[in-house]
Amino acid sequence: MILLLTLVTFVILLVLSLPIVFALGASAVVGLLASGLPLQQLGSTLVTASQNWVLLAIPSFVFAGSLMERAGMSTSLVELARAMVGWLRGGLGMSVIVVSYFFSDICGSKMAEVSALGSALMPSLKKAGYRPEDGASLIAAGTAMGMLVPPAIFMIVISEVTNQSAVALFLAGFIPAGIIGACLCLVVLAQAHILGWPRDTRASLSRLLLALKNAAVPLVIPFVILGGFYMGAFTATEAGAIVALYAFIAAKFYYRNVSWSEVFELSYQAGVLTGVVIYLLAVATIFQYLLGISGAPEFFGHLLAPLEGERWLFLTGVAVMTLLFGMVLEGLPAAVVLIPVVFPIATKIGVHPVHFDIVQTAAVGIGLFTPPLGVGLLMALRFADISVGQHVRAYVPYLLALLAGLMLIICVPEFSLFLPRSAGLIR
Amino acid sequence: MRFVLMLPRIILGSLVLFAIGVMLYGVLMRYVVLPVTDWLNLDPPDFFWVEEVGEMALAWLTLLGAAIAVKERSHFALSLFVHRLPRGGQAVVHVAHNLIIAAFGGLTAWLGYQLVLLNITLTTPALEINMGWLYGCAVAGGILMLLYALDAARRPHDPDHSFADVRE
Repeated sequence: MILLLTLVTFVILLVLSLPIVFALGASAVVGLLASGLPLQQLGSTLVTASQNWVLLAIPSFVFAGSLMERAGMSTSLVELARAMVGWLRGGLGMSVIVVSYFFSDICGSKMAEVSALGSALMPSLKKAGYRPEDGASLIAAGTAMGMLVPPAIFMIVISEVTNQSAVALFLAGFIPAGIIGACLCLVVLAQAHILGWPRDTRASLSRLLLALKNAAVPLVIPFVILGGFYMGAFTATEAGAIVALYAFIAAKFYYRNVSWSEVFELSYQAGVLTGVVIYLLAVATIFQYLLGISGAPEFFGHLLAPLEGERWLFLTGVAVMTLLFGMVLEGLPAAVVLIPVVFPIATKIGVHPVHFDIVQTAAVGIGLFTPPLGVGLLMALRFADISVGQHVRAYVPYLLALLAGLMLIICVPEFSLFLPRSAGLIR
Repeated sequence: MRFVLMLPRIILGSLVLFAIGVMLYGVLMRYVVLPVTDWLNLDPPDFFWVEEVGEMALAWLTLLGAAIAVKERSHFALSLFVHRLPRGGQAVVHVAHNLIIAAFGGLTAWLGYQLVLLNITLTTPALEINMGWLYGCAVAGGILMLLYALDAARRPHDPDHSFADVRE
């Protein structure tokens, strides 16, 4: 009964467009009152859930990402990718996928990434003869894949929700992102031949070296993160601080195009985004507690029981739910509401927690770029200036490639587990 | 007056830079100074407070950031049909939203105040900071959220203060 009351309040407020965090908060208050529990729990949870060392990585990664984007590092990555693969048929399209992989490393927020890549790449794509719907598809699919490339805020949050090491999760993401990227590149290659996409002239060695030199500053970061985590040199929080310092030095003393007031403005924006993310996590903690005591895990347990016989089937079922949740509610709210409820069932049937987290991260990434509601997709379409209806047909192959990549990650746990296991972070 | 209105913005931005600075200090101590003092057989540096201060800064960042996000309309919201309602209907929903948020902010501040009173005699382990300062973030954030939401509720026809079109 309490479960029903809490959920009904949540859904009504959600449908009425109250921000999700307050819909969760208000329904949690209703649930606490209805079950006769003290409201004091709300106050203490809000503070204690946000007083968290691991989550401290969020403001620094967001700050670093926006600083690097403002300094124009995305442009140098685009140039490098074009010089590397632009001469192939459909090479520019493939370079979008390659750029998304590396750019995700320096950009904490998906929305910031879509807007950076959209503004940097869409004009070149159009000029090279790509239709707007193909351009939007490439950017959307590439960014969806980039969800798995660390440091993603989502990974920090899901590691916290499922009580896993953020570093293990970061390391686990590199290979699955590559797998999805490879699926996307195959689609690009096929599309390029079918639609007759153009190719750039082959880059001379000097142009390639120049592009590499210009992109060296942002390219250091993935290597620092991968190497540092692999060797166990530092924690996610420490990596965040180091990357923030690196971004600051690069923007201020190498690129020299970011003023002090812009630095402060970016730190303010990082503060607002941090507040939004961690407050959501904190409020959802109370909501989850209520769901927990009112029998929601048992309910989901029954719902998913038919899938529990096969791990891949179970993971596929949960991934579909997460994908749909992610499409409707955005990734983070989906993570804090749905994942804590299904996670215990996953561990019970023997799914490795890190594998589970990686599959959910990939599903949320795809959900954000799934028509007709995925908010990331809507943003990518804004750059292409087309509607969902005009775009959807061109997007189908990319969506299928993303889903094929997701299935590969689900069916082969080693893709996710190899790196953290060989680094000794998991068993 | 303008300075007072800018104050939360200044505090929030400074808190982010401060938290990053504290973390960098921790990194410097752990990876540079500690090995050196070890090597020279000197007393190790005391930087255990870094975690304590960093976490407290994050709690303040979160509660203040969440309040400011009400003003900036940065919280995630789902846009289904509210933006298609007639102007009057939208205004009613808008006022209702902000009153719920104001009530939630007020409740947070009140609960935070109770927690401050409850913990005011306790101190943190490393720096012995009064725990009241930690829970004070719920009071400050709650009050700020209440004020921003009430301010937004006063302007039902201002499109810049609606949550409903966030996704559009």
